Amino acid sequence: MGMQPEEGMSHMPTDAALLDDIRAGDKNAMNRLVERYKKTAYSLALGLVGNQDDAHDISQEAFLRVYRSAGRFDSSQPFMPWFYTILANLSRSWLRRRQRIDHRTVGIDDVAYLLVSEDSPDAELIHNEQIKALRKALRQLSFEDREIITLQHFRHMSYDQIAELLNIPRGTVMSRLYYARKRLAKLMGEYS
Amino acid sequence: MNRLPRELLAGYVDGELTDEERRRVEAELEQSSELRAELEEFRKLREVTSMAMYADLPDEVWERYWQSMYRKLERGIGWILFSIGTILLTCTGLYYLLRDLLLSPDIPLVVKIGTGTLVAGTVVLLVSYIRQRLFAYKRDRYREVMR
Repeated sequence: MGMQPEEGMSHMPTDAALLDDIRAGDKNAMNRLVERYKKTAYSLALGLVGNQDDAHDISQEAFLRVYRSAGRFDSSQPFMPWFYTILANLSRSWLRRRQRIDHRTVGIDDVAYLLVSEDSPDAELIHNEQIKALRKALRQLSFEDREIITLQHFRHMSYDQIAELLNIPRGTVMSRLYYARKRLAKLMGEYS
Repeated sequence: MNRLPRELLAGYVDGELTDEERRRVEAELEQSSELRAELEEFRKLREVTSMAMYADLPDEVWERYWQSMYRKLERGIGWILFSIGTILLTCTGLYYLLRDLLLSPDIPLVVKIGTGTLVAGTVVLLVSYIRQRLFAYKRDRYREVMR
């Protein structure tokens, strides 16, 4: 599911406990938090910026900011929405910088970031064309549309999980998904 | 009905509706061919996205992930210490240089004035740059937001 940590579940300190230790300057706690969420962070950033190298760097930068701002984290709240806010804002900033530098609409140019799933080996050529069209369409979506599509379609998160992550009502998740899909389908044209 | 059935269609495709909402959508689907076409469009879209997956990074990148991040962390702390040291040494050096230069009777007046204006100009430029950066930071909508 969408936000499961990557560490084994046994004898695991909670996120809040790790954040308390990080606040006290414990780098081992930081290491554990990073191991727990590094792949989730990378995957979320990849969906937003569509570039593997940048997603890697953004995920690391987000963890560095967690380390620096651990004192501002409210331990009574879940970690992931707070972390996602940092990650999404970094991704937005990165896209804006790329846009300024490249003078392109959106700076996504990593053609290898979205692949044909290993679960669908048949008719790979046709699928490749569809994935190519999907990649192109995702590139043209707004940040908000791409975000909601990423979370639901590629992170397979439930509406409740998305609502918690983005701090929006469940009904808004449904509404945002509806309009994002309409726009995505239109951009996909014959391939949807 | 609080929400348009059209928006409920997203929840219908994802199996996220209550029984009541699902019945409302199904009733609407029977009536509206336009809605049925939309449903078909969403299902095809899901079919395409389910064929796609994000590319993972090579294992060695994941193995080095913490080490490379730790280096950045150390470098960040190193840069802060380096900057503080540089500022302290530069200010102290400038103080002694200016004091000796301005008080020395051997240095011509024009050199004293030139040095004084050079230092004053550098300070003005530095302050202006820092002010501009702070101004831009305050108005950056997307800087890190803490909930």
